[in-house]
Amino acid sequence: MSDATFEDECDVNQDDSQEDVMTPAELIAKLEEAWLNEKFSPELLENKAEVVECVMEQLTHMDANLQRVKKGDMKASIHRMEIDRIRFVLSSYLRSRLQKIEKFFPHVLEKEKCRQAGEPSLLSPEEFAFAKEYYSNTEAYLKAVALKRMPPNLQTVDMLKAVPEPCLDSFVFLRAKESQENILVEPETDDQREYVVDLEEGSQHLMRYRTVAPLVSTGAVQLI
Amino acid sequence: MDPSEAEFLAEKETITIIPNFSLDKVFLIGGDLGPFNPGLPVDVPVWFALNLKQRQKCRIVPPAWMDVEKLEEMRDLERREGAFTPVPSPFYMELSKLLLNYASDNIPKADEIRTLVKDIWDTRIAKLRLSADRFISQMEAHARLDNLTLMEINTIRSFLLDSLNCMYRLRSNLQPGSSKDRADY
Repeated sequence: MSDATFEDECDVNQDDSQEDVMTPAELIAKLEEAWLNEKFSPELLENKAEVVECVMEQLTHMDANLQRVKKGDMKASIHRMEIDRIRFVLSSYLRSRLQKIEKFFPHVLEKEKCRQAGEPSLLSPEEFAFAKEYYSNTEAYLKAVALKRMPPNLQTVDMLKAVPEPCLDSFVFLRAKESQENILVEPETDDQREYVVDLEEGSQHLMRYRTVAPLVSTGAVQLI
Repeated sequence: MDPSEAEFLAEKETITIIPNFSLDKVFLIGGDLGPFNPGLPVDVPVWFALNLKQRQKCRIVPPAWMDVEKLEEMRDLERREGAFTPVPSPFYMELSKLLLNYASDNIPKADEIRTLVKDIWDTRIAKLRLSADRFISQMEAHARLDNLTLMEINTIRSFLLDSLNCMYRLRSNLQPGSSKDRADY
């Protein structure tokens, strides 16, 4: 499963850049985009396995090079500072994904179960393992502390109902990276009418996540 | 988002420094830096400039907008206009703070600049509060926020978004059937 996903995403990536190889600088920019989107979106986004993997590769490569440099070298200290900065973004990205998995684990797993073969997975294999383990641990814990002392008809708990779903109706701040036309804005109250807005390139907006969710995953808008 | 994270992003901006040492080109993952020659200006990211400054290995050239006259003009414009005026840098607040804290000796009239930036910030935040108030009282579903910077959005983000969510929840309970029940937990 994991390998297939990985290749799929790499293919997509190659199509995007039209056979160019992404430069390391572009790679870092991609990681930062993914980091901010993940930070601000109310739901778990698709995992960027290929970006994470490539960044890790860069970091280990640079680390290995630095091992060979003697101490006190000015260049080495610059490289080390840069590595620390990139590592911060990377771990903050992964951490915010884990936080969301912990918060919405039954829904995340449910989505994963309903996923059609061939569709890219939301979770990386490690995240999937984490979510499953978190689920079974929570269940075991609830059973141990309370459920087994309940009357028999109350001894089960439906996790999907017990854990709140991500609220897709929350507002988000966003910047349009590509112009988008005719985004339907739903009315807030019954006496208002729905209307459409155009997102010009570079403009910034505040609106409901639900309306722009597809644009976030295609990368046409950036959450800020 | 934590303000320190906004500062982290601001540190990626480039700034000109005048180094007092020499060093070949450095090939970083995010791009190349240098070469460095004493007395020759070179563009580097702010995080690196500040590090060099703290080790007293360079002089920082303040960005062109960090100038008393330009900032005064900006402040007056900001006070005159009802809408947000374009800012000279998307990280003007973070950069002023960083540069004034760590490199104030390289910035002419640092104190005046500090006051001016604070004035501009205060005016903008007051506008932001007003427009947030309007947004909520008119129950809008969309707002355009050009020229707002990340730090400004940050100061209002959690308060505004949480209250909008709360109001949404209250409203959807008032209009049964318009949205599914969220009182599951």
